[in-house]
Amino acid sequence: MNGPILALRGVTKSYPQGGFLDRLVGAASRFVALDDVTLEVARGDVVGIVGESGSGKSTLASLAVGLTRPTAGEVLLDGEPLAALMRDHAAPWRRRIQMVFQDSSSALNPRKTIARCLAETLALRGVPHQAWEAETVALLGLVGLGAETAPRLPHELSGGQRQRVGLARALAMKPDILIADEPVSSLDVSLQAQVINLLSRLAVDLGLTLLFISHDLAVVRTLCSRIIVMRQGRIVEDGPCRDVLERPTHPYTQLLISSVPRGIAGRRTAVAAAATGAAG
Amino acid sequence: MSAPLLEVEDLHVGFRGADGIVEAVRGVDFSVAPGEIVGVVGESGSGKSLSMLAVMRLLGTTARITGGRVRFAGEDLLAAGEARMRDIRGRDIAMVFQDPQSALNPALTIGRQMTDVVRAHRRVSAGGARRIAAEALERVGISDAARRLDAYPHQFSGGMRQRALIAMAIACRPRLLIADEPTTALDVTVQAQIVNLIAELRRDLDLAVVFISHNLQLVAEIVDRVMVMYGGRVVEDGPVADIETAARHPYTRLLKACVPSLQGPLGPLTTIEGAPPRLGRMPAGCPFAPRCPQAVDRCEREMPALVADAGRRVACWRPQ
Repeated sequence: MNGPILALRGVTKSYPQGGFLDRLVGAASRFVALDDVTLEVARGDVVGIVGESGSGKSTLASLAVGLTRPTAGEVLLDGEPLAALMRDHAAPWRRRIQMVFQDSSSALNPRKTIARCLAETLALRGVPHQAWEAETVALLGLVGLGAETAPRLPHELSGGQRQRVGLARALAMKPDILIADEPVSSLDVSLQAQVINLLSRLAVDLGLTLLFISHDLAVVRTLCSRIIVMRQGRIVEDGPCRDVLERPTHPYTQLLISSVPRGIAGRRTAVAAAATGAAG
Repeated sequence: MSAPLLEVEDLHVGFRGADGIVEAVRGVDFSVAPGEIVGVVGESGSGKSLSMLAVMRLLGTTARITGGRVRFAGEDLLAAGEARMRDIRGRDIAMVFQDPQSALNPALTIGRQMTDVVRAHRRVSAGGARRIAAEALERVGISDAARRLDAYPHQFSGGMRQRALIAMAIACRPRLLIADEPTTALDVTVQAQIVNLIAELRRDLDLAVVFISHNLQLVAEIVDRVMVMYGGRVVEDGPVADIETAARHPYTRLLKACVPSLQGPLGPLTTIEGAPPRLGRMPAGCPFAPRCPQAVDRCEREMPALVADAGRRVACWRPQ
């Protein structure tokens, strides 16, 4: 298929705002988390979605996975509307699009061993139980973990190892699209580099379409070929990674780029940036 | 060089475990000069926060100082009584933490929380305390400060909450500010503002600052000196320009190399294989030896001492 694997057409997501009384008198407003977003993602693309808290980047992710439904507009997978897929073929749709979360400790059940956690996912995909053990070892190998990880509980692993398990669990479904929501921002820098390299390699080896949500432009530059910059529920800039970073057109993108710490090279500009940044 | 404001010698901090004391800070030496800004860099578990909490004597019940000396302006802080420490904390040494949300009481106004601190340390009237609080808020860049004093923490954004906490910290004119990852929970644009604010305050108030962070690139923008910690030890320490351009410890070099940047070549990132040592399973020799590409037998067996040379210190058998 040549069309986009994932598309959003005029997608808006809003939530009621204000207390019970406001709603009673009809004074409640709505908070718009995502505002009329249209977007196409080609198969095999590695897309970085960048923005600060409240920009709508995580809302976009949960809409794409089908965890929330749009208030207006539609989400399409391979040209088919998500709403219809969810009604008629929920299981296969969910298999094809998987997610890795920021906080690996709360994304894994603390009482289940890694083997059990992966086996449950394999069962969902319909893998016969005789094959679970071999598949588990293969999946752990794929994310750079040894078979000795399988009988462990999440708390016995380091943050970097847990994040790899989260990734293995997502890959167990053999997804076409992987959405990673800030998967490295809670990791120490030395482990962050390991996970970024791993994601980069897996995207190529498995032909994954990767949506990488992050606030860190330098990480996105390393991993992605395209950048989407979001602010207040809207896409403010979208283009090839190099173009966006070297010739940003939107002032907000320029501000984001100038905010990336640059070590001693950033010393002279430090005070100037403070003067231009608004308080709060 | 003037006499140091803060002097820490051979500091040890341990946790009581099932098999006796487990050491997490294992002989840390450093000093901070008046008006100096020092970046303390390391990954989780390196002992950077724990060392500073020990300096403030804020370890709580699980951890304890098992050895060493801490002197602030010549006074032995480890011999000071709890009442004396309460005087020092907030007035002479102030601290700002990572999460501005949990450091503020959600049920009290910003003004009430600030005036409480001021009145705990200075003999001023309620009106006087409020004026001092408003001035401090103004100083950290919050406009319309007098009115904002009546706001509750939830009415502030994350960046404003951190500014308010910094205002609270400087309201009593401390000589030392310990900032523990003050920008980690904030958005990047706000992070840049807070870092610049700390640099400005240091300049204007002649404040010494210990800036704890896991991000070497971030601290390098404002600090005079960088101290790198790993496995409960100081592994390298020196002027920021030297650490940035000619780090001598392999860990410092790798730590710099594995952070992606907006410049530089693309391609796979440099990684440090393995994971930081876990508490209670510290290697006998150099704590970094198991992950170090340059390690030789001696590194595994013997702990290298922190050796001073021309204003720099490095703890490595094979410094570069």
